[in-house]
Amino acid sequence: MDQHSKHPSAAVVPTLRPTDFEVLGTQSSAPVLVRPSRSYWQDAWQRLKSNKRALVSLYLVIGLILFTFVGPLVWRVDPALQDIDQISLAPGADRRALVVEPFSAWDGVTEWQQSQGQSGLRVADSPNTQSVRLKWDASLTAGGYLVYRNIYEPEGMDSLGLPLMEIENPSQAYYEDRLDLQPDVYYYSLVELNDNGQPMGDYQMVTAEVRRVITVDEVIARNLVDDPSALMPGDEVMLAWHPLGTDYLGRDMLARLMAGAQVSLFIGLLAPLLFVSFGVVYGATAGFIGGRLDQLFMRFADFVVALPFLLFMILFQVVFGIGPGESGIIPMLVALVILSWPATARLVRGQILQIREEAYVSAAKLLGASNKYLITRHMIPNTLGVILVTLTFAVPTAIFTEAFLSFIGMGVAPPTASWGSMCNEGLKTMLTHPHELIFPAAMISITVLAFNLLGDGLRDALDARMRSSE
Amino acid sequence: MWLYTLKRLLQGVITVWFIATATFFGMHSVPGDPLSGERATNEVIRANLEARYGLDRPVTEQYFIFMGNMLRGDFGISYTQQNREVNDIIREHFPVSATLGLLAVLFAAAGGILFGALTALYRNRLPDYIIMFLVILGISVPSFVFAALGQLSLVNVNNVLGFSILPVAGWGTVGHMLLPALVLGLGTMAYMTRLMRSSMLEVMSADYIRTAKAKGLSPTRIFARHQLRNAVMPVITVLGPAIAAITTGGFVVELVFAIPGLGRYFVQAVQQLDYTVIMGTTVFYGAFLVFMVIMVDLVYSWIDPRVRLQ
Amino acid sequence: MSALLSVDNLHVQFATYGGIVQAVRGISFSVNAGETLAIVGESGCGKSVTMQAVMGLIPMPPGKITAGTAHLRGEPFLGRSHLNGKAICGDEIGMIFQDPMSSLNPTMRIGDQIAETLEVHRGYSRSEAFARAIELLELVRIPEAAKRARQYPFEFSGGMLQRAMIAMAVACKPSVLIADEPTTALDVTIQAQILDLLKDIQRETGMAIILITHDLAVVARMADKVAVMYAGQVVEYANVDDLFAKSSHPYTLGLKLAMPSKESDETHTLQPIPGSPPDLFSPPKGCAYCARCPFAMQVCQREDPPAFTIASDHRSRCWLQHPQQSRPVSGLYRRTDEVTA
Repeated sequence: MDQHSKHPSAAVVPTLRPTDFEVLGTQSSAPVLVRPSRSYWQDAWQRLKSNKRALVSLYLVIGLILFTFVGPLVWRVDPALQDIDQISLAPGADRRALVVEPFSAWDGVTEWQQSQGQSGLRVADSPNTQSVRLKWDASLTAGGYLVYRNIYEPEGMDSLGLPLMEIENPSQAYYEDRLDLQPDVYYYSLVELNDNGQPMGDYQMVTAEVRRVITVDEVIARNLVDDPSALMPGDEVMLAWHPLGTDYLGRDMLARLMAGAQVSLFIGLLAPLLFVSFGVVYGATAGFIGGRLDQLFMRFADFVVALPFLLFMILFQVVFGIGPGESGIIPMLVALVILSWPATARLVRGQILQIREEAYVSAAKLLGASNKYLITRHMIPNTLGVILVTLTFAVPTAIFTEAFLSFIGMGVAPPTASWGSMCNEGLKTMLTHPHELIFPAAMISITVLAFNLLGDGLRDALDARMRSSE
Repeated sequence: MWLYTLKRLLQGVITVWFIATATFFGMHSVPGDPLSGERATNEVIRANLEARYGLDRPVTEQYFIFMGNMLRGDFGISYTQQNREVNDIIREHFPVSATLGLLAVLFAAAGGILFGALTALYRNRLPDYIIMFLVILGISVPSFVFAALGQLSLVNVNNVLGFSILPVAGWGTVGHMLLPALVLGLGTMAYMTRLMRSSMLEVMSADYIRTAKAKGLSPTRIFARHQLRNAVMPVITVLGPAIAAITTGGFVVELVFAIPGLGRYFVQAVQQLDYTVIMGTTVFYGAFLVFMVIMVDLVYSWIDPRVRLQ
Repeated sequence: MSALLSVDNLHVQFATYGGIVQAVRGISFSVNAGETLAIVGESGCGKSVTMQAVMGLIPMPPGKITAGTAHLRGEPFLGRSHLNGKAICGDEIGMIFQDPMSSLNPTMRIGDQIAETLEVHRGYSRSEAFARAIELLELVRIPEAAKRARQYPFEFSGGMLQRAMIAMAVACKPSVLIADEPTTALDVTIQAQILDLLKDIQRETGMAIILITHDLAVVARMADKVAVMYAGQVVEYANVDDLFAKSSHPYTLGLKLAMPSKESDETHTLQPIPGSPPDLFSPPKGCAYCARCPFAMQVCQREDPPAFTIASDHRSRCWLQHPQQSRPVSGLYRRTDEVTA
């Protein structure tokens, strides 16, 4: 046993004072609590607060609610209003417009100074959103002309695409383009045709940098400046501001995102609230009463669970039908509630059954606790956490479902804005104006993310068994 | 075990019957009727059309005819494409959807199990953080956004490279399938990664893993022989719902990538109110999903000895 | 004679959600071949953690061995997986656990789980190992061993599972067997059978057994030496006879009084120890048992007692054993002659 002599505390016996051996007074047998005692909810709140991700998501959710309900009060723009001057406008794009005289038709002869004396295809006046005026030298051999307009520089005859205009009169050596002009760079090409209408020779190309213009009358109609009478042609005015740009119909993206947020949050919060409440009542009834009723209730829930969810959501939308002037939100809400409650019902029933078997409930019963006492003191506090977590996780699911249905065109009806339908519209212009897809997509993602993280945080905070497994 | 299988199959049949009935009466309660469009111009044509589709009979009789036909596997003729049987549409387009779905499920399951195990093994270290960040992204971004962004980035990649590494849309070759299947499986993969991670963490702290360590087994052997098999079990149980999610998610992916699958057909039929196609595909999809879920449950009960032998 | 296995001044702590727990605070003991050491204490006192730390089974982090050594046949092995070409875990030291139901892989056949040890440490082929596993199941007296080896844990009863666990632990003929509360989850008749089985195997193989338990009856039946643990420390260390006859620590006394005894007469009533163990997030400055000790003195609150030597192989961490302390304490054995440092 030589190891024991090495034992540090065995080596020295300290000398003590006699008072050290005086017996201690009466000691409390209760253990000394070193840490403060906290209730379940205090503890849960502490844990939630210390969870950085959950806290961030909580702020996100609060921000989202502000965006949805306070946002429209601050940003008073009608989400259905079309700003035809600014269609598919990217955020931060130049919104200056030059004030010009009202449009008057072109005679095809007058040219501005810059192009006088030039030959071949040329821009004959300052190109602006009112019109682009093209002029070229009339060909004696040609039987007609084709005018092309491209937004990318053409790389050969094959890439010209469909002509903007076919001119059958060879002596008309000008063309005025007024078709849906945007402040952008356009590549105009000219191809001469022979008498049989076949292209001959190569194409000529000219670049036109189109400038946004506006007339005084339009400025007044759109109420852009305070004192329109002082406006002179050549002045610059600022068009309406769209911080997140506009969509393909010139509607303000920010206003539409806010309107879409209302739809998403309406569905996303109300539907879970309704079906979770129903599920709780249903499951608790089954679990608490038990017996044959429980069997019957759960069989029915099994059936509803077995229905393919999205398939039936779509079917419900078809069956309800969306009449003219309706938004289609209520049918979706109803369908969601009808199809989603069984999961909660099962969960709550299981929880109730489990708690009923717990020793502490038996103990309470033996001590003569009433049903009311059992429900309020044991059943509700012990299921509330689970229900809260279910509720939080149901929100992103509902928002997803709304977006999915609206995306395939079975959700809200136009002109009601919804993030899903905005994504669907944005998809069509994805290549040229990606912001129309990215903003609503980001809103869906951030919202779902926030509620998912919040749900994770709540589960970790409330459910002791799940704690620290993530 | 056999009793269980039989019970589940019977349950499945009843569910499918329930789906069919609900679909039938649902569709028949739609306001207006399928022929009220521009095609029924006069009474004679209308009467002829009604007779052709059997709409002149009472609803209950139509129901029994519908159920009878369905039992024989006949879903009727499309309303919008009058010479096409719904069966033909399913036969032609379902294999496309099934291939896409199967590939997506494979992606999702393989990725989910692999990444889930990795994150658990590297818990609270860099790989865990990176993968879990991506997982949260995968759970929060809807499949149609993945599809659109995937396509957008593929277009850009092809532009930058100057040649096409993968086709942007359409169907036909393996190349066509890869991106849509990946995009379709992403959400489920993220979900499965999470599940696998928590399941793996639970297994890692289980008593029998401590026993395995006390037996002096190497970490690799413990992982391969003890952890993986037990951790994968819960992932298998969600395969059924995952197949359902992927199948319905396929609707939008087929739409975005212009894939001629049944899902795209279904969405089109819904938009055009093509009643027979809607009923046919709903019942078909419903039956497919119900039996897939049952299949997965049966496979699970066969894999887990605790269930198999009881 | 040098000890087969010895542990010296072991400290283990855990970083947890609420702070750092000092689970083991300077533990020393040793065990010889063929001998049984019992480690006794109430739950949470650190007995299991001590042995898991020795085996290297503590997940790190959150666990951490902050100090101490462990020797096998005089060679240090803490933190090593092999010693002289033999694996520590499963080969040199076997271990069985409290809850056999959760300690066996639910999806693997019993025979395979036993065979695995042999495959890994002895290089047996699968079929050889499986055949040997069946023999081992026979050794631990499981009827129809060949059939049983092909079954899964859920098909076994608790006692059967613990036998299978023992078969697994002794498969490689370890020199030390650590049994962590091997009978706690079993009912009393099975308990006795399992303990007898352990004794028999020990007699045949000459291995040392370290028995972790909270049951003094099991200690009396099995142990040669006893270490009584409280709040992460060994408060009394003695031969089993000395421990019962010459209890030198108030906690040991308390445990004895709380134990039902066979020859109990009417005067003997079970006396629970009041209070509960201290919070190891912040261990008290003085003696950890002070708050529950009926004999507590001023010094106990202030300073942690050193281990006083009662006899050559008997130590006690209690100020009552201090040579200057002269007050008699009923029931407590005190060393009468001068204590030498």
